[in-house]
Amino acid sequence: MPVDALFDISEPGEAQTKEVCKGRAVGIDLGTTNSLVAVVQAGQPICLCDEHGSLLPSVVHYAADGSVVVGQAARGLAARAPQDTIASVKRFMGRGPHDAEATRRLTPYQFVAGGDDEAVLRFSLLGGRRAVTPVEVSAEILRVLKTRAEAALGGELDGAVITVPAYFDDGQRQATRDAGRLAGLDVMRLLNEPTAAALAYGLDKKAEGTFAVFDLGGGTFDISVLKLEGGVFEVKSTGGDSALGGDDLDRALAAHVLRQMGLPEDAAGDRTLTRRVLDAARDAKEALTKLTAIEVVVERRPGNIWRGVLTREELDTVVRPVLDRCEPPVRRALRDAGLEAKQLSGVILVGGATRMPIVRRMVVTLFGREPLADIDPDEVVALGAAVQADLLAGNARKDVVLMDVVPLSLGLEMMGGVAEKLIHRNTTVPCGAVQTFTTYADNQTGFDLHVVQGERELVADCRSLARFKLTGIPPMPAGMARLQVTFLVDADGLLGVSAREETTGKESSIRVRPSYGLTDDEVERMIRDSFAHAEQDVSERLLVVERVEADRILQATRVALDASADLLVAGERPAIEAAMVELEKRKVGRDHLAIRAAIAALDAASKDFATRRMNQALQQGLRGQDIGAVESKVGK
Amino acid sequence: MICWSCEKNAGGGMLCVGCGAVQPPDRTADHFHVFGLPRRFDLDVADLEQRYKEMTKVLHPDRFARADGRARRASLERSVQLNLAWRTLSQPVARAEYLLSLEGIDLGERTGSKQQEEDGNYATQRVDTALLVEVMELREALAEARGHGDRAKAAALVAGVQAHHDREMAEVAAGFAARQPNLPAIAAHLVAARYYRRFLEEVQADREREEVQGK
Repeated sequence: MPVDALFDISEPGEAQTKEVCKGRAVGIDLGTTNSLVAVVQAGQPICLCDEHGSLLPSVVHYAADGSVVVGQAARGLAARAPQDTIASVKRFMGRGPHDAEATRRLTPYQFVAGGDDEAVLRFSLLGGRRAVTPVEVSAEILRVLKTRAEAALGGELDGAVITVPAYFDDGQRQATRDAGRLAGLDVMRLLNEPTAAALAYGLDKKAEGTFAVFDLGGGTFDISVLKLEGGVFEVKSTGGDSALGGDDLDRALAAHVLRQMGLPEDAAGDRTLTRRVLDAARDAKEALTKLTAIEVVVERRPGNIWRGVLTREELDTVVRPVLDRCEPPVRRALRDAGLEAKQLSGVILVGGATRMPIVRRMVVTLFGREPLADIDPDEVVALGAAVQADLLAGNARKDVVLMDVVPLSLGLEMMGGVAEKLIHRNTTVPCGAVQTFTTYADNQTGFDLHVVQGERELVADCRSLARFKLTGIPPMPAGMARLQVTFLVDADGLLGVSAREETTGKESSIRVRPSYGLTDDEVERMIRDSFAHAEQDVSERLLVVERVEADRILQATRVALDASADLLVAGERPAIEAAMVELEKRKVGRDHLAIRAAIAALDAASKDFATRRMNQALQQGLRGQDIGAVESKVGK
Repeated sequence: MICWSCEKNAGGGMLCVGCGAVQPPDRTADHFHVFGLPRRFDLDVADLEQRYKEMTKVLHPDRFARADGRARRASLERSVQLNLAWRTLSQPVARAEYLLSLEGIDLGERTGSKQQEEDGNYATQRVDTALLVEVMELREALAEARGHGDRAKAAALVAGVQAHHDREMAEVAAGFAARQPNLPAIAAHLVAARYYRRFLEEVQADREREEVQGK
């Protein structure tokens, strides 16, 4: 085998020389539901917080005045402006306009109509006046985290490690890297999320042995099997589903709620209602982690409130078919690692959805043991990424190394639409492969190369990554030309491909740009544009954030007053309404601190009322159950 | 070898003996040479793994994330070479095929490019017809057992094929251990093992399809 040909190819990632520096490198978990940034300080990884804590909701709102709101405040706006508020953007990364993710029926979003040749998915915002790609939306989230880290560390960042689901394909990885560049980050490495979690556990808990990491996040499911030994973190196998997560559980539950409301499962295309039902489903799902029943309140239209009760049993029945999809990837990952569940030293839980009792039970059944969740499953990935960033920046110990794998086989299309695999799944990166092909027809003067990723035999069932041509081959009888194709996957898991016709020495190589991605030119243009729009006035941003919060609390209070008027005590309604009027007045002003004070005043005026409502909801939810049992469940 | 960084004698190892810079790989080195081992089939995989991990700690691109472009390039190339060598030598089948290929006996790529087989490579020419017929009959028997829902019989058939495979691989090991290895005979056992293995892989693939579709 011509091994040396492996090296006649440029590095898939950027190859510019980087300065040797030691400094502030951060780890970023760019999650479906929440994103976090962490850093190693005094040898320990810690998550950086803002006033809401470490989690930044991965929600981006585009306002009519051109400003962009990210996080908690944006989440508050989702129900009012569902089309202009993008949540779970990660699920759209690296996907095309014709992908199932973009064509599902129960969605609050609108997309720019794509022709058959349209390669890039764009969200249509503000009634069609603005369009953004998932990469741009993700970059907004990353910018906020970057700002947070720079404020905490007191200076510019030297680099970042961004995590991706292990099961992300090449297109999804490229899109994540592009988002990092767009946010002005030097992306030192893309790190697989389960590997990051294992790193955090391995170093913190001094774990040794073979572990499975079960990572059920907001939008993706990953299962990785790793061997931890003497500082070496070796991924033996990985599997998963990059379109399976908490969002799918929410959607299943939302469809159930809609059925109970007597509405069709697609909410008859009502985007506002869709957003409200999805939010109500998410809240109910989270509440049912600790409670056994909960009241669900959905505002159909202003003044028209639907209320119902959801039990944990109902939730379990509704989500079971979705969760069952975790099982085949788990079995396959174990088989690929050549292991049985009982040979594992432990199972590590990652991702918010692993808090659900039904998921814990499923893990116990699948692996025959209680899982480990000592490190907060929401933070563990960011913590591991910070450790890796520290290692890459050269600050840390030299005896730790991560050996990760290619999650999905990489290959080429052959005659007849069959995929020929050059690199098999679970091959340790970096890795390469060389294979020789020949012409099919007499006097064929070019090769069309179609690079695909996936396990299926037929190209049509695999993910198309890129197409390129090698032309200018002199006419020869069929089978005479020798085309040598080289694949090289770097430590980020990104693929580069080159091809060389041996009899003529004609060469062609590409850094694979996903078929459903952005071209380098597009990314460059976006980076230039973002500089033009940068330096947004900080107080302007604070004002927007407070206004959003004000709207959220006003809306919630209105709903509560309508729904539970019977719980008000004498004099309470006028006090609450007065506080609302005051907040309405402050909201149109430009003093964000005055708005914040008015919000606090309304909170105080409605606090007792809110407590009574919560108690009532609990009692209604748990009707017929022994109160002692309830307290013990709630108390935990 | 002259070090690209300090321009003095690098010493021929992974890192320059003088300045410690990572050196590009020797492109002509065979997989055994990468580990500093002699060419032989019989090797201690645990020892190989130890060497592999230690070398990875030194060469991995993570070590050079902030280094000069040439150092990063050398680390990438070295790591690709090391991973390929480990992947080949750690598996008995791949190791045997590789040893034969070093002796000029090419059994074709394991993934079996269609074109290479039509070119008439060793594997397709030398397969004995009796073996082909045997594997075909095994496939039919398995399909029949499954058709009747006879899981016990299907499992017994698969176990039988696994035993055939293991026996052929034992012959391969014995062949290489001989004072004068009979390479064509080893190749024949390896090809037979490959047929059994393909059968087992297909069974595996069927099982995976059923798992996915059964849901």
